Amino acid sequence: MRGVRRFFASAPCAAILSLCLAGCGTWQAPGDFNDAGLRARAVTASRQDVRVTAAVLSAEDSRRMFGADVNRLDVQSIWVEVRNQTPERLWLLRPGTDPDYFSPLEVAWSMHSPLAGETNARIDDHFDRLGFQNPILPGETRAGVLFVHPERLTRLLNLDLLQTKRLIPFSLFLPVPDEPGAPSSETTLFSYAEGESTDFKDLSTLRASLEQLPCCASDSRGTGVGDPLNAVFVGELSDIGAALVRRSYRRDSQAGDASQQVFGRAPDAVLRKIAQGGAPSTWIRVWLAPIRFEGRRVFVAQVGRPVGGRFVPHGTADAVLHGDVDEARNLLVQDLMYSGGLDKLGFARGVGPASPTQPRVTLSGARYFTDGLRATLFFAIRPLSLSDVEFLDWAAP
Amino acid sequence: MMKRALQAAAVAVALAGCISPPSPVASQDYKSRAVTRTEGKVRVSTAVLSADESATVYGVPLARASIQPVWIEVENREDRTYYLLSPGLDPNFFPASEASEAFASGESSEQRVGLGQRFRELSFRNPILPGSTTSGFVLTNLDEGFKFVQIDLVTGGRARAFSILATVPGFRSDYRATEVFRREIYPPEKIVDYTDDAAFRAALEALPCCATNEDGSKNGDPLNLVIVGGLDDAFPAFARRGWRPTELKWSGSILKMVASALAGERYPYAPVSDLYMFGRAQDLALQKARDNVHQRNHLRLWLSPLRHHGKQVWVGQISRDIGSRATIHTPTFTTHKIDPDVDEARAGLTQDLAYSQSIAKIGFVKGVGTVPKSTPRGNLTTDPYYTDGLRSVLVFEHRPISLAEVEFFPWESRP
Repeated sequence: MRGVRRFFASAPCAAILSLCLAGCGTWQAPGDFNDAGLRARAVTASRQDVRVTAAVLSAEDSRRMFGADVNRLDVQSIWVEVRNQTPERLWLLRPGTDPDYFSPLEVAWSMHSPLAGETNARIDDHFDRLGFQNPILPGETRAGVLFVHPERLTRLLNLDLLQTKRLIPFSLFLPVPDEPGAPSSETTLFSYAEGESTDFKDLSTLRASLEQLPCCASDSRGTGVGDPLNAVFVGELSDIGAALVRRSYRRDSQAGDASQQVFGRAPDAVLRKIAQGGAPSTWIRVWLAPIRFEGRRVFVAQVGRPVGGRFVPHGTADAVLHGDVDEARNLLVQDLMYSGGLDKLGFARGVGPASPTQPRVTLSGARYFTDGLRATLFFAIRPLSLSDVEFLDWAAP
Repeated sequence: MMKRALQAAAVAVALAGCISPPSPVASQDYKSRAVTRTEGKVRVSTAVLSADESATVYGVPLARASIQPVWIEVENREDRTYYLLSPGLDPNFFPASEASEAFASGESSEQRVGLGQRFRELSFRNPILPGSTTSGFVLTNLDEGFKFVQIDLVTGGRARAFSILATVPGFRSDYRATEVFRREIYPPEKIVDYTDDAAFRAALEALPCCATNEDGSKNGDPLNLVIVGGLDDAFPAFARRGWRPTELKWSGSILKMVASALAGERYPYAPVSDLYMFGRAQDLALQKARDNVHQRNHLRLWLSPLRHHGKQVWVGQISRDIGSRATIHTPTFTTHKIDPDVDEARAGLTQDLAYSQSIAKIGFVKGVGTVPKSTPRGNLTTDPYYTDGLRSVLVFEHRPISLAEVEFFPWESRP
């Protein structure tokens, strides 16, 4: 019984209970939902005769659509519309949006009340009707809601649409409503003005320019040495985003991230891999570099993981960089081999080696050692398998 | 939060103070039971360590932190450098540095450095250069009984995949599951190999709608899954996507599951109850743990006497758990509340495995029978479900397949 009380005292359960108490006992099916407000802030993209439109639901949208604020369950609801003008049906692959997504009835079940069978059945019906349904037939426009883990400020939404021998992927950046004081720059990623970037046409000059980039971040005064810049991503934002989302990376910027400065600014984006039980895992801090390769964007990044990893209770410790930064970098490379988005891989110099016996100290006091290499990952939109990845004959880790 | 902190402290206390230097004559017995495979000029050998062996090799009780080392040796006699991909063995594997931190609490900084170094030295380290032999450990989540060891090696423009079923000593072995991989369980006259897709479809549609209870008198969950492939092609897909064998249901596991449900924590070994098909309980039950035990997907598979172009055909059942609940309908008194929309679970699995780089073809056949939402059927634990009545048929291949190469059978239209 004490165990049961402990269970009910846990935070997620309390949230579910309070939601139920607030909404389910007296749950009423909301009236017809007017999607004009959603459409007004929705983001749209088109490719290969497919158009997608999407928006993150606010608490108010959620109440008007579901009769309760689903956000309080730690679930983000995303309204998605797909127009299919191809001659074949499309299938939206949910694990491409969130490998650990929620089903509509799973969310509905969290809103059930004891001994309220009829109301519970109506809740189920309602969620079932509003959830996104496959397939999207040729000529059809279909809309529905996806239930995923939350991201703050900006949602990096990946939509993988499958048909016979073809994948049509989209990556959208959606503003997340109800975020007071969110700086507007969070929804529009940093970009350089015309003429501020140098476009390299061949791999050897690209490699040379990557090796000239600073070794590490600095602090806001441009002094001090921050974490090493041990990775480079080459490709369009959507291709890189798709690969990362498919491997459970989510946008998740935390207070300490802004202290790492490159090109005179805080990271343009921060992603974190969510390990089991929501424990902290690898982070990636990304800055757009004033470099292009064959017209595509080049990002420089820090890849690291916090000391303690899954074995410290999350939220109780500051994220201190673990010293073995090469391990974090190499495991990111291995993980992304399974993303279907990795085209080429090479290792450039530029970080400078530091041995375990003479580690470097960062401005936050963390000590790290490294072989001094920068993993350079080239992404492609065309889905690729493990045997398609090209290994560049650059430095060897 | 306080509760979590206390639990973590308790774990830390339990784990600390147990560090001992590895035995100078560390047991190498696991190498004697290593399983070896060769493809091209690459040879791999692997063995999964028991709890005792891992404590001996690492000097700390890894199994208590649910960590299981897998020993891997690769001999590369090709002219190119290979790299082992640890996420292929377990997408939630433990980096060596992270695993060492499970035992760092209460240790001096010198001891921590020593511990980290020991873990790093024992880990499998890339690259595997031409002409060299490299060995070391990958630290995975603990499996009891047996483990699918998926060894993915990559080099520029080529991948070599080895799939090995390894037994784990020190646990009660799940003979039924391992037997089905070790020997043909059907007499030759019972086996029917289909090379004609239409005939194969008809055979799949003629299978019973549902799994049953032991004497076959009551229908349980719908058989909504057909897996075409075996250890070398289908099971790599499950391993790469984090699907792992379940523990046999025995009292220890039930207790752990109850504790896990009460604490709202993730426990990957909530056992499944038995269902029956072809006159026997499932040959294999797999599950994919999610954020906690309340959210867990599980599936059961039975090897059928059908073959498709010589490949094994498994019939199965998949449902999505959306919570644990008490029930008087199973001998273990706990079960998982399932999502009544079982088609959603079927679609979810199909889509999940599409990312495994092993699915070549997807199709849908009838056979379950339509169950409308307005008049749901009940399974053996009285969970209601409804379905469009289709079975998902997934054909796997050994070669890596990108998402842009997946084909569909021209059967029932894709739901």
